[in-house]
This record gives sequence, structure tokens and C-alpha cells, in this order.
Amino acid sequence: MAAMPNEKALLRGAQRGSAADFEALFRAYWPRSYRAAYLVVHDAAAAEDIAQEAFLAAVRNLDRFDRRRPFAPWLHRIVVNRAIDWARSRALRAELESPDALPAPERERDVSDTTLDALAALPPDQRAVVVLRYVLEYTPGEIAGLLDLPRGTVNSRLRRGLDELKGRVS
Amino acid sequence: MRLPVNVPDEEQAVGRAWPVIAAAFAVREPVPRPRRRAPLLAAIALAVAVAAGVTSPGRAVLGQIRETVGVEHAAPALFSLPAPGRILAVSRSSAWVVQRDGSTRLLGPYSDAAWSPFGRFVAATTPLQLAALEPDGDKRWSLARPDVHLPAWGGTKTDTRIAYLTGSRLHVVAGDGTGDADAGGLPAAARVRPAWRPGAGGVLAYADTRGRVTVYALEGNVPFRTGRLAGIRSVAWSTRGSLLVVTRTGLATYGQQGQRLARRGLPGIRDAAYSPDGRSLAVVRAGEVLLLEARKLTTLGRVFAGRGPFAGVSWSPDGRWLLVSWPAADQWVFIQVVGPRRVVAVSHIASQFDGFPRVEGWCCP
Repeated sequence: MAAMPNEKALLRGAQRGSAADFEALFRAYWPRSYRAAYLVVHDAAAAEDIAQEAFLAAVRNLDRFDRRRPFAPWLHRIVVNRAIDWARSRALRAELESPDALPAPERERDVSDTTLDALAALPPDQRAVVVLRYVLEYTPGEIAGLLDLPRGTVNSRLRRGLDELKGRVS
Repeated sequence: MRLPVNVPDEEQAVGRAWPVIAAAFAVREPVPRPRRRAPLLAAIALAVAVAAGVTSPGRAVLGQIRETVGVEHAAPALFSLPAPGRILAVSRSSAWVVQRDGSTRLLGPYSDAAWSPFGRFVAATTPLQLAALEPDGDKRWSLARPDVHLPAWGGTKTDTRIAYLTGSRLHVVAGDGTGDADAGGLPAAARVRPAWRPGAGGVLAYADTRGRVTVYALEGNVPFRTGRLAGIRSVAWSTRGSLLVVTRTGLATYGQQGQRLARRGLPGIRDAAYSPDGRSLAVVRAGEVLLLEARKLTTLGRVFAGRGPFAGVSWSPDGRWLLVSWPAADQWVFIQVVGPRRVVAVSHIASQFDGFPRVEGWCCP
């Protein structure tokens, strides 16, 4: 995934205390962070928490961040790993619906819903690899680095994940 | 290939998240980046530390540093407040109002006190009396009752009420001293200050002796009551209408219908206070002051730390400064949490107030 063109300058400004520069980084990287978290956990509130926590971690560690490294992989590593943890723990517990939760409004289903449903059926680890590859557009090598996995494991999860998706969407 | 997916709530999520992230960014403490000569400086520092540790005078110096408590270069007296407003403080034998210019006004021999909603009056108690005072100490009215304590004054500019405890009974009296009544039929109150929900409606939260927090409306109904909570230490409302309950194991927030909004385990909380805009929560533990995001109770940052224990925390009315009481250091520490970080400490507090005081609010410019 390519870094934004002025990322280093923004990071430098943010490290020196420029709220405007940090906001520019936030605006650039929030949408994909939230999207990635949502596609792994399939829960909007949890995705918001996860993306927010990742940015709060970024704030806490901003001064230690090495500007020679790209920012996005560092951020997305936090997002996706936390999302995997959340999805795993949710799978382990029987979750009660919140009594004040409102039902989602009825609307016509589209290809996006079908893809989301198919994605949700994948195990969290597979889901994360698919999201990193086909939403955040990291290469398999980069994904291996982000998730501390052997390259072969990434490839096999991608292959199995895609096969599953194709089977469910078609 | 890109997956064709739409993600719900994207626009709203970014709108909610940015204020939280921005607040965390505003309170972060920049860490100086290491310079190239750092290894040399580190070696010198190590040599000095070793020398200091192995020689007798050196050990004495290290011991002195370890024992040092308080902010260095503190002002020797409270010459002024760093933000508008007045502070209400209660020492072991008297209540005081501190003006912006640092001048103090002794209100009288009161053991507890609280501001009225707009800072026009003070409710103060002795063990046998509840009194309404002008901020210069003039008494407007008083009410004799046994074992009076923990007053809380709430309401609007035109309609105010004071809640207080007499023994373990919760009483409510009008702001002009009329209509004092036991909030009848409710369970006995624990020794925790009741809290009025800001604004109109007369909604009050108090902790009962069964370990629950009851929200009580003057109209007579009970909007909700929490389950049993272990060791309730304080209750407070945000200006946004959330109820905060601090217990010995952590904190929890509740919405206006009693639904729990968030919960966080955080043992050892000594005090907690909502910011005036209700977005942040300052929390004091033994040796640190944390700033939490009020909605989810996530940590925005640690704004101050030291060899505690710290005793209390209050927000300036403009929401830019925190006042942290530090009895062990005999200091009040003012911390600017919006904009560039500044710490202004004042020492010799106990001698200025006839004993180290509790801060009961920083109110109303």
C-alpha cells in the first residue's frame, strides 16, 4: 500500500505538536482503518472502538515513531490484530443483544451485503488476511510482516478465503 | 481486485472519533527526540549515578531525591488562579472562597460546602446546621438539623434545590430555605455526596446503604436504580446527562434511562470529575492523574504523575485547567490540559487554609 505523498512532513509536524498535521493524518487513514476493522468484526460500534484505540495508540507513541517507516502499516497492524482478537473473543462468548439496541432499518440487499455476509462466514484469521489484501491492498509479503505470519500461511489463507468467498457469492 | 462492500456508519464514526483523538493529541506530552550525542551523555550520567551510589554523600543525595515529593519551583503562596473562576475549599475547621487574584475569604466554621449551580451562593454545613451563604460569607438562611453533611445544590437560575444528608436520611430543601422534606420512602443514604443532574427537572442521584445508586426525581418517581455496586465512592452527572459512578474497583456510566453506557475497571480512584463540556473525565489515582474520554472511558492520556497520594481533582470553569490537590507535598498543582502543557504549582497550602483543604469546586467566572 503506497504512503500518502506528504506523509513524512505531516508526521514531522505532528511530532512537533501541530494538531492540523495530525488531523490530516487522521483524515487520510481513518476511513481505511475503520473499514478494515468493520470488515473483520462486522460490528460498527466495535470497529469504531478499534480504529479509535489504534489512533489513540498512535498519539501515545507518536514521539517514538520512526519517520523513515511508513505510518499506515504500523497503524493497520494495530487495527487488524485488535480486530482479530475482538472477533475471536466474540466467537467464544454467547453475546446477548443490548436491550436498547434498535433493529437496523429494512432496505434492499445488494452485492455489498452478499459480500459482507460471505466475509463474515470466514474465520477471523482468514477474514483479516482477505481484508488486508483486497481492502487495504497490501501485498502478501507485507501482510506476512504485519501479522507475523510465514508468507506461505498468508498465501494459503488468501487462497482458501477467496475460494470460500467465491462459493458463497456465486 | 477490490471487494465491493459498503461499510455502515462511516461518516458518523469519523465525526465521533476525531474529537476524542484531537483531545488526546492536545494533552499529549511531547518526548524530546534523542540526539546523536546521547550515548556520551548516557555514559556520563551512568558514571555519575555509579559514583553517587557508591560514596556516602552520593547515597545521601540519591535518598534525598527519592524522598522528594512535589513540583519543584512551586510558588510559595497562592498569588492568583491561572483561569477565571473562584475555588471553594474546606479545611478541617472552616470553609473558604479563593478569588481569581488569589485572595481568600473565610466563610466560617463549616465542615462541608458546595457551590450553587451558578456560583451565586454556597451551601455549607456544620454538624447541626445547613446554611446558605453569599460567597463573601454573609448568611442568607440556615436550618437546624442533626448530623448534617454532604450538601449538593442543583437547579436552574430560577429554581434551585439543595439535597443534603441528615444522619442517613436524604433531605431536599428549596434554595430559599423553604419546604425542607425527607425524600420519603427511599432507602437510607450512604455517606456519599448526592448529585443533581444539571439543568431543570430536579433529578437527583444518591448512593444507598444497600450499595445501589438511585436516581430520584422531585416529581416523586424513581427513574432508575442500579444493581449493587461494590464500594461506591462518588456519583456525578455530566452536562450531557450521563451519570458517573465511581466504586473502589473502577467506574461506570449510565444513560438517562439507566442503561449502562460504559464500564471500566480502574482500582484506587480517589476522585473523578467531568470536564465542563462533559466530553472528558479527569481521574485521580494514588500517583497519577488520567484524562479519560467520557463516553467510552478510554484513556486519552496521563496528564500528571508523582509520588502521591493525590487527593482530589477539579476543572477550571473554562475546561482548560485541572487543579490537583497533593496533601503529601502540601501543594495545589494546576495543570493546563488544553493547548501547550503547563504545570503551575503552589506550595504551603496548609498554612494558608488552617490545614490542607479539600477543594469542593472551581466555579463560575
